[in-house]
Amino acid sequence: MTIMATPKQSAPMLSTQDYNPKSESTGTKRVKSVAFHAVALALTGVVLYPALWMIASSFKPNSEIGGTNTSLWSSNFSFDNFVTAMDGIGGVTTLQFFTNSLILAIGAVVGTVLSASVSAYAFARIKFPGRSIFFGMMIATLLLPFHVVIIPQYIIFNQLGLVDTYIPLLIGKFLAADAFFVFLMVQFMRNLPAELDEAARIDGAGHVRIFCSIMLPLMKPALISTSIFSFIWSWNDFLGPLLYLNTPEKYPLPLALRLFVDQTQSSDYGAMIAMSVLALLPVLIFFLVFQRYIVEGVSTQGLKG
Amino acid sequence: MINRRNFLTTVAIGTASAAALAACGSPAPSQTGSAENPVTINYTWWGNDDRAERTRKAIALFEGKNKDIKVNGNFTDFGGYWQKRATEAAGGGLPDVMQWDLSYMRDYGQRNQLLDLGTVKINTDAFDKSLLPSGQIRGKTYGIPTSTNAFAVYYDPAKLASLGIAEPDGTWTYKEYNDFLAEVGAKGNGALFGATDYTGVWWMFNIWLRQNNIEAFTEDGKLGFSRDDLKKWWNQTAALRGTPAIVSEERVTQLAPKSPFGSNVTATEVTWDNFMAGYLGDSGAKELKLVPVPSDDPDNLGLFLKPSMLMVASAKTKYKDAAARFIDFMVNDPEVGQIFKTSRGVPASKTQRDGTTFEGTDKLVVDYEKSIEKYLKDAPEPPIVGFGTLETSFKRVSSDLNYGKLTIDGAADAWFKEAEDLIKQNA
Repeated sequence: MTIMATPKQSAPMLSTQDYNPKSESTGTKRVKSVAFHAVALALTGVVLYPALWMIASSFKPNSEIGGTNTSLWSSNFSFDNFVTAMDGIGGVTTLQFFTNSLILAIGAVVGTVLSASVSAYAFARIKFPGRSIFFGMMIATLLLPFHVVIIPQYIIFNQLGLVDTYIPLLIGKFLAADAFFVFLMVQFMRNLPAELDEAARIDGAGHVRIFCSIMLPLMKPALISTSIFSFIWSWNDFLGPLLYLNTPEKYPLPLALRLFVDQTQSSDYGAMIAMSVLALLPVLIFFLVFQRYIVEGVSTQGLKG
Repeated sequence: MINRRNFLTTVAIGTASAAALAACGSPAPSQTGSAENPVTINYTWWGNDDRAERTRKAIALFEGKNKDIKVNGNFTDFGGYWQKRATEAAGGGLPDVMQWDLSYMRDYGQRNQLLDLGTVKINTDAFDKSLLPSGQIRGKTYGIPTSTNAFAVYYDPAKLASLGIAEPDGTWTYKEYNDFLAEVGAKGNGALFGATDYTGVWWMFNIWLRQNNIEAFTEDGKLGFSRDDLKKWWNQTAALRGTPAIVSEERVTQLAPKSPFGSNVTATEVTWDNFMAGYLGDSGAKELKLVPVPSDDPDNLGLFLKPSMLMVASAKTKYKDAAARFIDFMVNDPEVGQIFKTSRGVPASKTQRDGTTFEGTDKLVVDYEKSIEKYLKDAPEPPIVGFGTLETSFKRVSSDLNYGKLTIDGAADAWFKEAEDLIKQNA
């Protein structure tokens, strides 16, 4: 590593020797800085344009969305779309859709964090017979396309009489069926020094104690990224709820969103976009709240590594 | 070791609870219900908030009149609807009664997923006899049309007036229609075009075939027309492509998902008459009018009534009788007609149609269908399996034609190859 790193490091060293900051006036520096920020802002604008378009369109009347209207702002600014969106669909209020989405998302987060961390501990720290085979099988489920298992799964849940409940959507999360998260946590735990649990073991701690008192606190960054991803995936999941839920009162937001745009009848794009804006808020808030933990997690990781 | 024991316990508990849940499955229910102990049938449909509201009213009315049946309604959007049905069909969990689309009729009917409605009591006396074949496959009735739509040319009278062009009277040949489009394009000054290329619309092609006494599909599910027929069809507008008579394909793509007509970019459009409400909403136009499609044979317009949707029952339903009564009610009851108006299309059953008062936009559509009554011929049988794919590729190939990526000969070859492969695959 050091051999590789030396020439790489020497290159910028050389250039800094050639480059005399004092010879350059502060004016040029400022121009450079302004140019850099202008370019960065322009790029941000391009990236954020779809979001901006969505927010702007949510305040426009339906006939001005899409088609020949390309301007972002409309003179007919109004909150009508939000009023329509909040009215709900077919006698079910939008608040109900939100609640359903929240129940599913929180259930998914709790289930995934609990089950994936316990399974990961087993794979990373306990030597049980057949561990590598089970681990291999778990990884193999990652390679199995989701669409292959849809119908067999549906048949099982249908025969158990569990269709039109949240159980088919949540049970997998509580049984660590999301191999991705288990794998993520196993990799994280393998990086934690084994001396820590050896020390605890000498002090008489069992697996439960080691898991709760040593592993869980250290795994905070992994737990948080798992929470964020499982929250967002569950919040945005369309196919699962579509297949397993039959009663509109149990629908989460993604199903409700689609109902505003019906190609076979008139489409209320305005209300759909307004509802999309509302549906994005929780995800955004969730991310903003936990985002500092991600940054924190990555930086502490760096120090330990 | 503790953990292995825990693991085994967990597995044991899991297995036991799974077994318990399986045992919880309700015992086989009785075939018919009573007012004290009603049976519950599941009914599912696609559609928006408006349809959900209307359907809820219709269900309440049905339950009021039939105390021994409860209807559990649920709905999704059109795209999700078919994903869900496909999974349910494979898993044996199709709802008892379903709203259905013509293009999925043959697929599910042939796989014996749908109930033969000839075996139950549904009154079809009030139906136009030319319409019923569209719900039948090889003589068995799988679907009852709720409502109809017919093909038409839409135009916006205000736009024509502003250009100083006379409104069409509804009898025109293809040449006259083309000349009309060219005139709109010429006077439209780049802001208004004649129409989207109508030769890219499958159903328009189908109607043209019927005008020339050719059926699009033979009884054994093969193509009934030749490559030359298709070339001739795409040649109809060869002189107009690239001129302002036809809006460019680039523009059409830019405007999607709205149609050029709904975006006020074209003056006319050929499509089904039930798009009226959608077009009015999209374009903000005060008034839109409907006239019959062009034809070179004034006595044969090739028009027919197409069921805009049908009612079907699952072959596995435990409540055949209740399902049949609900279907009968939904297609025949005049009060149901009054609830839905034309939001499903024009009611197919005469009792329902006569029991409904139509106003405004609804009246325009109903009047149009009445005006073409004398031209109507038998509706075609449900389209072949995979028809949806053929229709999409028809649109795509003809859009490539408009982009200039394909010549007419190349386009016909490309479409025929796709169609023949697909038919072979599904045979």
